[in-house]
Amino acid sequence: MDFRPLNDVERRQLINALRGNAESDRAILIDRRDTSFLGTSDEVPDEEVINAIKSVPCHY
Amino acid sequence: MLQALLSTTRGLLNDFMRSWHRPKPVPPPSREVVPPVATNYVPLRRVLITDEVGRTLFEEYSGHRAAERGDEETGWVLLGRREANEAIVLATLPAGSESDAGVAHIRFNSTGQAIASSIVRQQDRRLTTLGIVHTHPGSLRHPSDGDFRGDRHWVQKLRGKEGVFGIGTADGQPVNGSAFAYQPKAHVQCLGELRFSWYALGHGDGNYRPLPVELTIGPDLARPLHAIWPIVEEHAEQLERLYRQQANVRFEVLSDAGNPGLSLTIPLAASGESVRVLLRRKEVCYYLVRGDQMLRADCTDECVDRGVYLMLAELASQA
Repeated sequence: MDFRPLNDVERRQLINALRGNAESDRAILIDRRDTSFLGTSDEVPDEEVINAIKSVPCHY
Repeated sequence: MLQALLSTTRGLLNDFMRSWHRPKPVPPPSREVVPPVATNYVPLRRVLITDEVGRTLFEEYSGHRAAERGDEETGWVLLGRREANEAIVLATLPAGSESDAGVAHIRFNSTGQAIASSIVRQQDRRLTTLGIVHTHPGSLRHPSDGDFRGDRHWVQKLRGKEGVFGIGTADGQPVNGSAFAYQPKAHVQCLGELRFSWYALGHGDGNYRPLPVELTIGPDLARPLHAIWPIVEEHAEQLERLYRQQANVRFEVLSDAGNPGLSLTIPLAASGESVRVLLRRKEVCYYLVRGDQMLRADCTDECVDRGVYLMLAELASQA
């Protein structure tokens, strides 16, 4: 098992991914073999799209 | 005894040296991480619409005005890609015949639009809700105060907390006939007497701002669905339930001339087996697909999710 500190780039990417997850429900991808961080997905969750559509207000 | 002690000491020393010089485990190389796409959204600089989306808006607005309910407002939800500073519109979801509309208001049939968004997003799950277009009966080419009261809250649900809003009016002065569209201003498109004026509104903004619109070549990914929109609306609630409850549901638009429809496929546990439902106007047919075989099921339930679960129960009892 490797415990090594993240380098600057990795740390920045992880922080961005965590922020995207917290603020925009953006998925954080992990490697299914060792659960290491693989980046983020730019897929938009169904819930986000459907919630927006179902809450379109009345227009005049 | 001394020999034994020396031998033991030598052994310990050898063990220590082997340990000291043993190659250390090589740490795994720094993995190339997929660049995160935590886009830093900034205010929209432009909205880019594809040529087919542009055609959809003008053609369907024209068709709506000529129809029986032509004096009512109409509209579309816009799906597409939200980039850092621009929105790219790639699909239009019509308000629907079951929308609540009058000469001075419109509330879309969101149930139909919701399942339609899921169908469209089978092609590209990066598509998101960008905004809406709706029409005004007179010559108000700007969103109304009533629009603002609702949109200012709604935009918080959108990527970048900003939305694209198009206003359709039919008060243009035709230039060069209706052969091609033109843009008298950066945020306005005109074709014949029809005119779409584009705006952006961000969370916390005090008003809409004109949004330059540009065209690019591309599809309206939802256009095949428009031909079967009444079918989508009729079965929307049941289809949405199935889509949420069953994994890997696939939809396909059947564009048979004269009898278009929607196909729904749910894979079964056995390889190559699936349940398929064909939805056409006033017709729901259920099939069991086994490899190359397609077996018609003796089920005529018009409630799609109930029909599917009856079939699944029957198949489970035969297993």
